[in-house]
Amino acid sequence: MSADDTALETYLLAAMRLAAHADPPPARLSADAMAALSMRLPGSVVATPADLTAASGARSDGKPQMHRFAAGETTLDVETTITEGRLEIAGQVSPPPTPDAYVEVRTPHLTKVRVPSSDGQFAVTGLPPGWVSVAYHRPSGPPVVTRWLRVRA
Amino acid sequence: MLFEVHDESIPLDLLDDHAWSELVACFDSRMWAVARAAGLGAADAADAVQGAWLRLVESVDRIRDPQAIGAWLMTTTRREALRLGRKAGQEFPTDPPDLYEHPTLLTPDPTTEIVDADYGRTLWSRVSRLDEPCRTMLRLFALNPDARYAQVASRMQIPVGSVGPTKIRCSAKLRTLLAEDPLEC
Repeated sequence: MSADDTALETYLLAAMRLAAHADPPPARLSADAMAALSMRLPGSVVATPADLTAASGARSDGKPQMHRFAAGETTLDVETTITEGRLEIAGQVSPPPTPDAYVEVRTPHLTKVRVPSSDGQFAVTGLPPGWVSVAYHRPSGPPVVTRWLRVRA
Repeated sequence: MLFEVHDESIPLDLLDDHAWSELVACFDSRMWAVARAAGLGAADAADAVQGAWLRLVESVDRIRDPQAIGAWLMTTTRREALRLGRKAGQEFPTDPPDLYEHPTLLTPDPTTEIVDADYGRTLWSRVSRLDEPCRTMLRLFALNPDARYAQVASRMQIPVGSVGPTKIRCSAKLRTLLAEDPLEC
């Protein structure tokens, strides 16, 4: 079956279910979609995955997963771990940040701010599993944001 | 066309809460249906849909065609579902594209406009024209989103191993029927 046929089959099945009201969406779906809008960071530069073997939607299973993102000269390393049902992030920005720089570790429901150490390291605990993105704010240029990454146990 | 912004001169990077809520109202249920039809369970499907919205948020400054947003959202949801499904250990017949790498380069699927309840209602009439076992099998999969092959096999009294091939054959027959006698979107 071709890729187009696979897509068509998916859309046909979706249309049949919509017509039959066979599978209504959960109530939280709309709230999640609205929450996504609040994650906008106009003017930001998107850092794309630099290590394709590691960078992908991840199931952590308690083991740290490493992801590298890059935008120009800026690199963000993000290590994700699920511990007791909560998401932990440890990361590093490079080149080393200036004193006014800070990092936001963002999920659609909770964002935490950290000032990285002089060598660029930062860490956050207690986040809800799911989609996460890191925004690096620096005085010398626009914020750099990583692509959204899904982390589940 | 599935969605029109009030003023097409408004760039997408100026979309506000109201415009966004209109987008959500128009597409959220359809995106859910796509994620589930791609084979995801409820929790993963909710993640796929939210992932598509987040991809739109990070890409919106670079999408300049408001009329293409619906197709972009459907296609992104389907491909995100394929990606998440592959991570969850499901098998898919084709490799998902690298949406994670280049979401703004995504070319929308040409058939997204059929993800619509009105189209679906007419589609059911085509399904009723199919012979058995296709009619029953497609109904079972459509009306029981979480049905497993073993359950379908038991219900239809056929071997589990023949459910997949039969489903593929039946879907092909439905596509052939639609190609011979297309429905209006």
